[in-house]
Amino acid sequence: MTEQEQPILSVKNLAVTYKTRKRDVNAVRDVTFDIYAGENVGLVGESGCGKSTAAYSIVGFLGRNGRVSNGEILFRGENLANRPESDLRKLRGADISMVYQEPMSALNPTMLIKDQLAESLIVHQNMDKKAAYEKSLESLKSVYMPDPEGVMDRYPHQLSGGQQQRVLIAMALLNNPSLLIMDEPTTALDVTVEAAVLDLIAELKERYNTATLYITHNLGVVARVSDRLAVMYAGEIVELASTKDLYAKPLHPYTMGLMRCLPDVDAPKGTRTLHPIDGRVPSPDNLPEGCIFSPRCEFARENCFTEHPKLDEVVPGHQARCFYAKEWLEKGVRWDDRMEEPERVCPERPAETDEIMLTIKDARVYYPVPFKTVRGLFGLEKRKYVRAVDDVSFTIKRGRTLGVVGESGCGKSTIAKAIVGLEALHDGKIDFLETDISSPINKRGSQTIRDLQMVFQDPNGVLNPSYSIGDQIALSLRRFNTVPRDQEYDEVVRLLRAVKLGENYYHRLPRQLSGGEKQRVGIARAIASNPAAVICDEPVSALDVSVQAAVLNLLLEIQKQQNTTMILISHDLSSVRFFSDDVAVMYLGRLCEIGPCESIYSSPSHPYTAALLAAVPRPDPTLEQTGVRLHGRVPSAVNPPSGCRFNTRCPFKIGEICEKEEPPRQDMGGGHLIYCHLPPQELNKL
Amino acid sequence: MAEQTLTLKNLRIAARARQMARLRESLTVVFASKTAIVGLVMVLLWVLVAVFAPLVTKFGPLEQDYLMINQGPSGAHILGTDHMGRDVWSRIAFGARTILTLGPLSVMVAFVVGITLGLPSGYYGGWIDETVMRILDAIMAFPTILLYMIIISAVGASPFNVVVAIAIGGAPGIARLVRALAMDIRTREYVAAAKLRGDKDIQIMLREILPNCRGPLIVDFLLRIGYAAFYIGTLGFLGLGLPPPTPDWGGMVQEGHSRMFANVWPVLSATLSIVTLVIGLNLFADGLREETMRYQ
Amino acid sequence: MARYIVRRLMTMLLSMLLISIIVFAVVEIAPGNVARNILGAFATPEQERSMENQLGLDRPAITRYFSWLFGSDWQVSRLIGMPVREIVISQGTQQNYRQWWAVDEDGSLVQWDVVDGQLIKLVRQENGSTLPVPDEAGWKVDEEGRTYFWGLDNLNHAALWFQGEGGAEYTYGYSGWTQSTDSPVDYVPLSRGLLRGDAGISLRYKRPVSEVIGRKMFNSAVLAGLAFLVSIPTAIVLGVIAGLNEGKPIDRIISMGGLVTAASPDFATGIFLIIILGLWLKVLPGATVFLSDTAIFDDPRMLVMPVLTASLVEIGYVLRITRASVVEVMNSAYVRTAILKGLSHRKVVLSHVLRNAMMAPITVIMLHINWLIGGLVVVESVFGYPGMGNFILNAALYKDIYSIEAGAMVLIVLAVSTQLVADIIYSYLNPRIRYT
Repeated sequence: MTEQEQPILSVKNLAVTYKTRKRDVNAVRDVTFDIYAGENVGLVGESGCGKSTAAYSIVGFLGRNGRVSNGEILFRGENLANRPESDLRKLRGADISMVYQEPMSALNPTMLIKDQLAESLIVHQNMDKKAAYEKSLESLKSVYMPDPEGVMDRYPHQLSGGQQQRVLIAMALLNNPSLLIMDEPTTALDVTVEAAVLDLIAELKERYNTATLYITHNLGVVARVSDRLAVMYAGEIVELASTKDLYAKPLHPYTMGLMRCLPDVDAPKGTRTLHPIDGRVPSPDNLPEGCIFSPRCEFARENCFTEHPKLDEVVPGHQARCFYAKEWLEKGVRWDDRMEEPERVCPERPAETDEIMLTIKDARVYYPVPFKTVRGLFGLEKRKYVRAVDDVSFTIKRGRTLGVVGESGCGKSTIAKAIVGLEALHDGKIDFLETDISSPINKRGSQTIRDLQMVFQDPNGVLNPSYSIGDQIALSLRRFNTVPRDQEYDEVVRLLRAVKLGENYYHRLPRQLSGGEKQRVGIARAIASNPAAVICDEPVSALDVSVQAAVLNLLLEIQKQQNTTMILISHDLSSVRFFSDDVAVMYLGRLCEIGPCESIYSSPSHPYTAALLAAVPRPDPTLEQTGVRLHGRVPSAVNPPSGCRFNTRCPFKIGEICEKEEPPRQDMGGGHLIYCHLPPQELNKL
Repeated sequence: MAEQTLTLKNLRIAARARQMARLRESLTVVFASKTAIVGLVMVLLWVLVAVFAPLVTKFGPLEQDYLMINQGPSGAHILGTDHMGRDVWSRIAFGARTILTLGPLSVMVAFVVGITLGLPSGYYGGWIDETVMRILDAIMAFPTILLYMIIISAVGASPFNVVVAIAIGGAPGIARLVRALAMDIRTREYVAAAKLRGDKDIQIMLREILPNCRGPLIVDFLLRIGYAAFYIGTLGFLGLGLPPPTPDWGGMVQEGHSRMFANVWPVLSATLSIVTLVIGLNLFADGLREETMRYQ
Repeated sequence: MARYIVRRLMTMLLSMLLISIIVFAVVEIAPGNVARNILGAFATPEQERSMENQLGLDRPAITRYFSWLFGSDWQVSRLIGMPVREIVISQGTQQNYRQWWAVDEDGSLVQWDVVDGQLIKLVRQENGSTLPVPDEAGWKVDEEGRTYFWGLDNLNHAALWFQGEGGAEYTYGYSGWTQSTDSPVDYVPLSRGLLRGDAGISLRYKRPVSEVIGRKMFNSAVLAGLAFLVSIPTAIVLGVIAGLNEGKPIDRIISMGGLVTAASPDFATGIFLIIILGLWLKVLPGATVFLSDTAIFDDPRMLVMPVLTASLVEIGYVLRITRASVVEVMNSAYVRTAILKGLSHRKVVLSHVLRNAMMAPITVIMLHINWLIGGLVVVESVFGYPGMGNFILNAALYKDIYSIEAGAMVLIVLAVSTQLVADIIYSYLNPRIRYT
């Protein structure tokens, strides 16, 4: 790329204003960046940073109450800001096209795929139906859609999430756009599907000379696909640099903060601390004075609170909106440096005991499938079941943490619910502290209930919106008789402090809290009974990265103080590595592999584990991110494949034996168990 | 000890403050919507008329004056008199009392029944749900007016029976709403959390689920008072309402209907009264619903 | 898809069964003073009891329910030990008159009577007259030693006579009360049952309900059909216009109009129309009087106001649903995709919005059919229109239980089957259901 070349898109001082009832809100301010042909620019930031708003302003789609209030959007030299619909219409879908976050809802549910694709060609290129069909089919082939002809005649709901996203990408490419805007295209997808879609996006960039604006909150993803990155915070770009530079030497404290709070899938437990950013992203109608990041910035100096910094070029090609960016560069402050060494939250491990806390033996959790046939209604058909968890066994020792990983639908949440008694076991046995707890919760003793608590996933669902924070925690105390009635208030405050919230939270209602704060209250409630074991079901997956780190740290600290046994259910292999001692990998209701983190992460042995690990997007642009990729879709849990469940997608399938026989349990030593037909020496090679 | 009571007192003050804040919040919601305000004003006017009925009328609602039948509006009778020489305005004013007591009353009964059926149905699901829903489906298959007609013709027309009929007609809809809400809320994690502290099902239903249904239920309650007024009027019109000579708007329309060409005033006033009340209630409920949706 | 329909049919049958129980229970379990209603206030308690006996109202509720639904002929033929048959005769003033006869061993049709303690078999002749034949051998003796006979009387009952015992003093027939000492002591009214098209004899018209109801159904269908044709297209067009212009003045006007018409009770709308069109503007005859069941076509102008009234309420409701649905679809992600594909507004609306937006209203319209039916009762009452609604209302006021039951069941079958149709249309429109 030469400097003389004209950018495809040049956004200058863009401001977007939304009219609300009270006043006008500037959701995006002073945003300036260029995209050149063949370049992929990533727009990164946490939720509510205005990155989608900025993107949609390019295509003039801001809703009735939004408008571009300042600046220019130059597309091939032509200003698109506030242009009439009729002008924009010619560009949309032709020269500028988009790929969306939720592929399912972005496709018309009542229209065949072929019609949805052809439409775009018919409108922009005046193609006849037949030509449009041919071109659409070709386009589906170019995104490696399996069975493209079949897909053309299907409705969106008949496709998997990954296929839907491929359809949308094919649709966006139909008219050879000069600019492609991708709005979190892989966020809603499972990690192995995400990896395949990212491969495709990277390949398309090589194949077409399209300029791409890639919006995401995931620093790992953009490290793979983007050439340059713009980091957005609260409606402003705070840093803009080539991907390599940005990851090597971030110059804005927010960017540094973001990188510091990412768990690293390659760093074992205890070797790294996470460094959360305190506070929360300000809402655009209530921005702080001075530098918008100043209230959360650990480097902030006096003038940061009064003056608003400009986006300055610190070194050629590297801009940052910080008064002291040069200083960080000169002093060589690196993102993994700290102002001062924080208190080490990594647990100094309490003495290992061999006491077994929890034993799960041949557990099965089946859900009956509602009858769909007439015969079924009369009970003439065999009842079918969703085999959510099928024949799973493992043990956990006191004080250790087991991470359970797998993609959605693998049964990891179900096993968690079965342990705490929210789901009934179909078959099998669970022992907890030498008590049989195979029965669901309403048949368990109160001591068992008290000793086994859970931290939940959805911060918005975790607290009852009708009661104050304090009341909800107090209720748990009362139920478990933890403290005498008259000490209740003090105990609630103690718990709130334990999760780093103050006494003033006692009377707040859940909706006055941010997601991270709600999650802390959920943790406080879980530890109110002083449980021996806590099961955390995706505790951070709905949170922004900067908040995730804080919650993970908090959980670690609690474990350290109380020697709590924990199970962490997660789809995120990085946070599992950060958090766990042991890890179990599940696929379609079955266990694939279980063992100490070190042996599994350092040399993944089961083909599925290898694929999962290869799929994790790493926030490091220098890494060549390839490896085992999975194809096809996860089979139905109602009618799982015979033999090894993974055989339909396994890249290392030996042959018939995988389809016919259950994989044997192979002990690799040190508690590392693998369920696979491959001989141990082959497994070690993976 | 002193410290102890102080904390408790503080708790109580804080709780009070919280309630006030909530009240203020709901008022803000109401006053944010012009539709809701217009509706509220229309309803409140009728409530005032009903409460102060004896003060705003010069004649009793049953007082007959055979020398003054079928009169048009005049100074003495602002809306004229009916075929029995009764003052139309005072029958309207006292009729407001009838409809404004029976309406909310029947909806309240319907809510008690509907919640009792819908809450366990949605919470437990399975065969309980299946059974309850089949029965409710059957009741809901009845055209409402038909259901009322059958019930009233079987048990006879009286205020009590009108309340019962309207409650039976309304309960299935409420049960369905509560069931849908309960089915949604039971999957929330705070319900799981309640189970994990050993709460009984009944505690979970009443403490975790029901309070969080209140938003949609309040809107539905207001809408249903509108429907109830609609149906009380209709039943009265069909001759299945309150037995004469009770001042009842629907009944007034029924009585005046055949004499409309001689004297339009009783019919016109009663019809307008019903329409303004029902529309007022609808506007209020509608405005509130839109505003709460926006608010969320 | 076929499975889905069969499944829906099954649940519908189940619902109908439940509904029939509810209807029967509400109407008949507390029939109160049906007899008094027929007999007037001056009947003696004995007369009332006799009346109830003859109507079969003193039998257990379960038996009555089964007779009502499936008929009582099979039960009667077991009682009298002979098959029974219903024949239709048209003779003089009695057109399509239905009579029940027992079929004797030789194939002749017979009824019985007891005169002065003598059991007489009435054998039907070719010309319709009867030949009395003494049938003393017919008497049977029960366990208590009483001589009895179960046979058919000439008023479509199975009747139980005891020899020498007077039984009921009064028999209520076509010519009023007849007094006799030989009248039966117990009756089972004969009917084919609702499922076989026999809804019983109307207590008010003294004619089979199924005969009376036919014309009324036709009249109501005309009214409902016209109202449907007027209201649905209007409502959908207005709703789509409002929805596409969300928040603009035209939307506010249409929405507000919809709210007002939907919220006004049908009778109020009707009265307003009469006052405005008939009384003030005098463009239409204000007082519509339908003198006979067939009068609705005499003056088409008389149909205008009933149709308009029935339509207005429906328009308000459907347009609000349509509007809400259009607004929701317009804000959906796939419409955003369509817009950002560069389609024109017209194309977006036609090929993406309408089909998806119509799904909600179609179900609602169909589900709303029982609202429309309820409305018909009122509209028919306002205008004195000779349809089902008025028929049921009068039946309810008169406590004509068989008419109420039959009318209610007809309307509900109608409502439930339209819901089935709605479900099928919906599943056709929505591929997510079609392909499962």
